[in-house]
Amino acid sequence: MANGWSLIIGFVIVALFSGISWVAAPKGDTQTVWRSSLLLSAWACFIMWAITFLAQWHPLIVPINGKLRPGYD
Amino acid sequence: MGAHEDTLFRSADMSLTQLYISREIGREVVSALGEIGVMDFRDLNSDVSAFQRTFTQEIRRLDNVERQLRYFHAQMEKAGVPVRSIYEFDNIVAAPSASEIDELTDRCQSLENRIASLNESYETLKRREVELTEWRWVLREAGGFFDRARGQTEEIRNSLDDDDAPLLRDVEQHHTEDRSFSTMNIGFVAGVIPRERIAAFERILWRTLRGNLYMNQSEISEPIIDPETNEGVSKNVFVIFAHGREIIAKIRKISESLGADLYSVDENSELRRDQIHEVNTRLGELSNVLANTKQTLDVELTTISRSLAMWMVVVKKEKAVYQTLNKFSYDAARRTLIAEAWCPTSSLGMIKSTLQDVNDRAGSSVPTIVNQIKTNRTPPTYFKTNKFTLAFQTIIDAYGTAKYQEVNPGLPTIITFPFLFAVMFGDFGHGCIMTLAALAMIYWERPLSRGKQDELFAMAFYGRYIMLMMGVFSIYTGLIYCDAFSKELPLFQSMWEFPKEFNEGDSVVGVRREGYTYPFGMDWRWHDTDNDLIFSNSYKMKLSILLGWCHMTFSLCWSYINARHFKSKIDIWGNFVPGMIFFQSIFGYLAFCIIYKWSVDWYAIGEAPPSLLNMLIYMFLSPTTIDTPLYRGQMTVQNILLVMALLCVPVMLFLKPFWLRHVHNKARAQGYRGLGENSRVSALDDDDEAPTLNGGRASMGDDEDGAALITQDIQEEHEEFEFSEEMIHQVIHTIEFCLNCVSHTASYLRLWALSLAHQQLSIVLWKMTLDIAFGMTGVTAVIATVGLFYLWFVLTVMVLCVMEGTSAMLHSLRLHWVEAMSKHFMGDGVPFQPFSFTVLLEEDPVE
Repeated sequence: MANGWSLIIGFVIVALFSGISWVAAPKGDTQTVWRSSLLLSAWACFIMWAITFLAQWHPLIVPINGKLRPGYD
Repeated sequence: MGAHEDTLFRSADMSLTQLYISREIGREVVSALGEIGVMDFRDLNSDVSAFQRTFTQEIRRLDNVERQLRYFHAQMEKAGVPVRSIYEFDNIVAAPSASEIDELTDRCQSLENRIASLNESYETLKRREVELTEWRWVLREAGGFFDRARGQTEEIRNSLDDDDAPLLRDVEQHHTEDRSFSTMNIGFVAGVIPRERIAAFERILWRTLRGNLYMNQSEISEPIIDPETNEGVSKNVFVIFAHGREIIAKIRKISESLGADLYSVDENSELRRDQIHEVNTRLGELSNVLANTKQTLDVELTTISRSLAMWMVVVKKEKAVYQTLNKFSYDAARRTLIAEAWCPTSSLGMIKSTLQDVNDRAGSSVPTIVNQIKTNRTPPTYFKTNKFTLAFQTIIDAYGTAKYQEVNPGLPTIITFPFLFAVMFGDFGHGCIMTLAALAMIYWERPLSRGKQDELFAMAFYGRYIMLMMGVFSIYTGLIYCDAFSKELPLFQSMWEFPKEFNEGDSVVGVRREGYTYPFGMDWRWHDTDNDLIFSNSYKMKLSILLGWCHMTFSLCWSYINARHFKSKIDIWGNFVPGMIFFQSIFGYLAFCIIYKWSVDWYAIGEAPPSLLNMLIYMFLSPTTIDTPLYRGQMTVQNILLVMALLCVPVMLFLKPFWLRHVHNKARAQGYRGLGENSRVSALDDDDEAPTLNGGRASMGDDEDGAALITQDIQEEHEEFEFSEEMIHQVIHTIEFCLNCVSHTASYLRLWALSLAHQQLSIVLWKMTLDIAFGMTGVTAVIATVGLFYLWFVLTVMVLCVMEGTSAMLHSLRLHWVEAMSKHFMGDGVPFQPFSFTVLLEEDPVE
């Protein structure tokens, strides 16, 4: 289910979220803080997720486990 | 620029204002301004010492009232009367009138006298009581001595006369019975002495009298209360018998010099009984009087305690008002006060309406005038914070005050600081603990802020919103790292499958599900594998580099915004553009390569993946060879980037200083001079010329009166252009920037190092505690699980959350102060320090 498209979909979702939060941020003194915080958190979280996803997209090594016992779940 | 709202992005627009206040309402005006707290008054009498200022007398008077209030407080503490807390007052905002203050002063004075006299009589009575008590002890104990001594008069006599009269013994031996001491010429001294001095006392007596004494002592079972210090002192009763008047006098002197209290005791037991009786009666009377006095004192103190806190606040405010008034200047007729203050331009309306209110209330015919004046002085930097943003802004202000109107790094810090923290602290469980702790502090904000806090807790409480953000982001990064208290979180189906058929002890190799990538965070199957560290190290290292690149590029962009705001094109073309190209062509390229390498399926195309580290090193060392290519045309791209980066260095070095020199020379060729340079010219002109040169800051004061308050040093804000200085500055900047690009990128690897350390530490903690308990069976397992759980939990909170959290926080702090802020922060601003009662009472709180 999850493949290369996920990155683009994720990007689009965060971009949409950014647009919405820019518009929907509460008016008043705190508007700048709301906008900046919502946008930055969205993008910071997206970057971290995307990096993690990319790192596992085409992994060069596979997990090797020597502690498994037969009949594990 | 239009009137935009004050945000955290830049300092609020500030205006220098001038106030003309009628002298009669000066106090009320300043007091009202202190309540709204938006004006930073400049000291217009900076050359006048504190003692020569106008309102020194008033301040001294208030100092005295403050001292009296502190005295009441001390008395209340001594008497154990609780002070009504400041939070119980509904309305302390209302500013008292001058007559109320006078009344308070008088009242405090009379109260102080009353309390002092009550105290004095109380202490005298107390001292009397102690004396009587001691006397009673002496009488009681001395009785025993006398009875014993009577039976031993002979021995005493013998021991006293031992050396000089051996012959007399025979003579007087026969009629020893029933003789009083006086007939034997034996005198005595009775008294009370502190117990710790008794040894010294004995020694001194022995030496000075060469042993010619007979001393008896006994301990008083209860400590005697010293009326002055209110502390118990253990004392001893002593009776010394000696022979001869002079010796007795000597003993008296010695005892008194050692702090003993001497009391007269009659040797006759009948008289002694009378004495005891008398002492007891007097003690009884005395304690009655004492109780009465104490009660009166307590009533008095309780009355004061009801309003003490409010009085303290009132006096504090009043004092601050006069201290501010001392900064003001007068007009010639000394009828108008003149003040200069910085205030946010957006608050001008509020200030004007407040002043109008004060005027109306006072019924003054002379209105208070607010003048906005233009100046070339740099305004103070002011960021309007709320309780959420305050702590984040404090992080930035701790490093330096932002230049007026430059981009405030405090705004992005709200997210980037806790986020970078979370990258190091990433653990779902620890993040939850931190979030809960922060939420608790926020929920009980009011009661906690009023209670007494120790230093460590006060720090955590101050940063409670930072903690909340850190906790929330740690939960997120914990989910990404797939760690909850070092255990995995199998949220989705794993992308790896282990075959079902194998023998125990085999190294089982995972098989990937075709075309499926774990959708969120790290795959939980990596947990407990043999090569877990190899994978997570490679991932986290690259994560750190990429996040560092993002953070630094983001910060570097602010320098462009700053240059545009200050309309300094040369900073864009001479600093920002070459700097950006330099940074991107090396580290932007590295970031690109990391992502490109990840997105290629190296097994599918059947090629060996290159090592990125070597690639970057050889890009500089041997630009003509490429061992394992990453993509086609790599060499060309790399060489172009290299040339671009190298070309940027001379641009950065020379463009700005030479451009500035060019502009300067052109200006001089057209005949312009710096303001400071033509002082000779203006001195020849008449005096009216001077203020207009002063950036339009017309002085309204009469010059002869010393009220020319605004004539400021012109050169203060003007810098002479000096090419060599500019060049040196630019060379330093360039070298620093280029080297820092390398070292700062490497510095972000701390994200990897700390998150690795945090993860490994929590794994070790789990293995050393709960894991052991899970390996047991039977009753021991139950007990061990409970015991080890507590151990594990306490260590998790203390070591992993508090200690590791602190360390991760400090590292995140450093990444902001050094790695990010060095890219754009100028930080030569002056902080805005408004005259505000709220701030005043926060800094010096009244309980």
